[in-house]
Amino acid sequence: MASQIETVIGACPQDCPDTCSMIVSKDNGKVISVRGNPDQPFTKGRLCVKVNNYQDRVNSPDRILYPMRRTGPKGSSLFERISWQDALEEITTRWKDIAATSGPNAILPYSYLGTQGILNGLTVGDAFFNKLGATISERTFCDSGACTAYTMTIGDTAGVDPESFVHSRYIVLWASNTLTTNSHHWPFIEEARKRGAKVIVIDPYRSRTARLADVHVPIAPGTDGALALGIIHILFRDGLTDADYISRYTVGADELAERAMEYTPEMVGAITDLSPELIVKLAHGIATSQPSVIRIGVAVERQSGGGQAVRAISCIPALVGSWRRPGGGLLQLPLWAFPVSWGAFIRPDFIGSAPRVLNQWKLGEALTGDMALDPPIRSLMVYNANPMAMAPEQGRIAQGLSREDLFTVVSEHFLTDTARYADIVLPATTQVEQEDIMFSWGHLYLSYNNRAIDPMGEAVSNTELFRRLAKAMGFDDPCFSRTDEEQIAEAMLWDAPQMAGITIERLKRDGFARLNLPSADDYAPHAQGNFATPSGKCEFKASMAAEGNFVLGLFRQGYDGQQSGEPIDPLPHFIAPQESPVTNPALAARYPLNLITPKNHAFLSSSFGNLPHQRRHAGDQPVVLHPTDAAKYGITAGERVRVHNDRGAFEAIAQVTDDIRQGVVVAPAGHWASLNSGGATVHAVTSSRYADMGGAPTFSDILVAVERC
Amino acid sequence: MAYVVTDNCVECRVTQCVAVCPVQCFHVDETMVYIDPHTCIDCAGCVDACPVGAIDDEFNLSDDKLHWIEINRERAAALPRLTGTMEPLPGAEARKAALGL
Repeated sequence: MASQIETVIGACPQDCPDTCSMIVSKDNGKVISVRGNPDQPFTKGRLCVKVNNYQDRVNSPDRILYPMRRTGPKGSSLFERISWQDALEEITTRWKDIAATSGPNAILPYSYLGTQGILNGLTVGDAFFNKLGATISERTFCDSGACTAYTMTIGDTAGVDPESFVHSRYIVLWASNTLTTNSHHWPFIEEARKRGAKVIVIDPYRSRTARLADVHVPIAPGTDGALALGIIHILFRDGLTDADYISRYTVGADELAERAMEYTPEMVGAITDLSPELIVKLAHGIATSQPSVIRIGVAVERQSGGGQAVRAISCIPALVGSWRRPGGGLLQLPLWAFPVSWGAFIRPDFIGSAPRVLNQWKLGEALTGDMALDPPIRSLMVYNANPMAMAPEQGRIAQGLSREDLFTVVSEHFLTDTARYADIVLPATTQVEQEDIMFSWGHLYLSYNNRAIDPMGEAVSNTELFRRLAKAMGFDDPCFSRTDEEQIAEAMLWDAPQMAGITIERLKRDGFARLNLPSADDYAPHAQGNFATPSGKCEFKASMAAEGNFVLGLFRQGYDGQQSGEPIDPLPHFIAPQESPVTNPALAARYPLNLITPKNHAFLSSSFGNLPHQRRHAGDQPVVLHPTDAAKYGITAGERVRVHNDRGAFEAIAQVTDDIRQGVVVAPAGHWASLNSGGATVHAVTSSRYADMGGAPTFSDILVAVERC
Repeated sequence: MAYVVTDNCVECRVTQCVAVCPVQCFHVDETMVYIDPHTCIDCAGCVDACPVGAIDDEFNLSDDKLHWIEINRERAAALPRLTGTMEPLPGAEARKAALGL
């Protein structure tokens, strides 16, 4: 057949802040390559090690292309092909029976952002499961705790335009390995540096980003809140605050000053294991090198006091008036700039009067009877997620998924660690086989993904999956039969001012459009306050704290009821780690090393963890130790070790370097348990314990021991 | 883990790779450029930018080019970092033609 190469403009679907515009090449209906779209001003024609060979994901011989039914024991990976009709009939028969005998809340959806499109991503199953009356899935995988804290302080604002960083004079990357998880932002940081900016990286690990920084701040894990309060202490002590900005646009400065009194450089130095001089230097740098900016990474929430740490950090730019100029302030989640019509997808109006809410970190407990649930979970549907690889207490999840009486449905591209345990596996399309419109949580461009090829085999998009399920369940609300085209037409609040000039036709043609906001050279959204808080000001003392702890409705299928409501101190304070030699010496006597679990450079969470190219780049599951710790436990570089605590164990290859602090070990998450020696990975040892706010996890607050295998 | 500059760059050295590299991981001598494997983020941006196809993923190299991994590592460590593009070497066009490109 003659070669017929055509290109289509798509958008990367991965849960990454960069949401690259990408050009998909196909030849006679087969995707042969992807590359970055050079016209997109933020992503500038580069993709990354995760996505450069996306065609290998699409065309992988391991793709699931047909519905399958389990034929062997749970977890055995033994399946037979069945028809879609049989799959739908079996699923809906089981669900109708469960709903009739136990109640529909015995069914639990489990999903996150395996694909990030507005149609096929976060909320794609919400209307269906809200209608069904299933247990509401509280999805606090990523940034939920930080969002709660950030929202309480400055509101759901986009914050600093990432492109405005070229104007920043002092850039603090706080718990962000930008070159691995947000790499298209780096050129803007580098440009600022060419213009004289300093780049500071706060991270217990000398990551590839920290290695390129002007200053690396190797903080003790779980102590970021103390550092932020120590900085605030210095700002007040040394007269570095912007009194005019504070008086006009903030509330609670006096109370915050009083609270910060105790956080002296000496006290904070002892907690963070940083020198008092460095803490003073950071405070003076942030205050006097204006505009200064702080980029908060997701990792900062993953500690017992993660919420209050984000609260304290979020106060700093207003204290020194950084918000006055473009490139000054805070960047956390510019997602809030996008006027997405979430309600059209979530349909919170379908939620009954007394739904049950279950947080996704608790899956292991929920499935194994360790949590009192009436009715118990009898069916689980997993899509856009792989909890066996990415949720805590892996051993307990495996035990739960092994229950013969649990009816598990998984929609996937591959037979993941989770899909292996399914009763029914459904084939999902990759991004090139589906149409979607994409927000970003790392820049201000709306993106469009034109479908490049027809679905492979019998794969269906998530939108089609839920259309089929809804029809089979007899749900007749018109929202369940909307085509993708109709959903795209309803995806945005097209009349919102940010959308002026943006049409679907333009998006389809160009693949992206910058929201209608001032240019990055002029955009200073909070130069005159205008914070999205109840007071309209930056709330050092948070009025929203009065209602206690909460998770944003977006992360819980649109449901705002039954919030956990634990008391929250309206002023920022330091909450110490629960698993540290200081706070838990008895535990540390047995498990002396603090584990942190950053993102893998070659994987996106567990996506790509099975593909040969990315596995070659990532190597086997590593654990990184300081030379002193390695010597202490008789471990040499390159040998296989066992990392363990009371929750479980996994095997890893030891890497020995002084890039990590003594007493801390690093094991990136995302490797597949089924592909790792010993059949377990990092989340075998992590805890389902929450951080202080928003249901965030505590993956940086874990003690382990490491020994030779 | 990194991308690697191989022999096609020799006596060509167009350095368009440097213009697209987000982390400035190229180092230079009189004949060609080299990638610092400790700084490279494997983004592959340079691969398409190179007019002579000199750059590839270390895992894609043919056996006869594997020695370039170590050459890049050693030379990058010993040479200055290149922070902007340079004029191509005088023989670049001839070199390109000789490579059939």
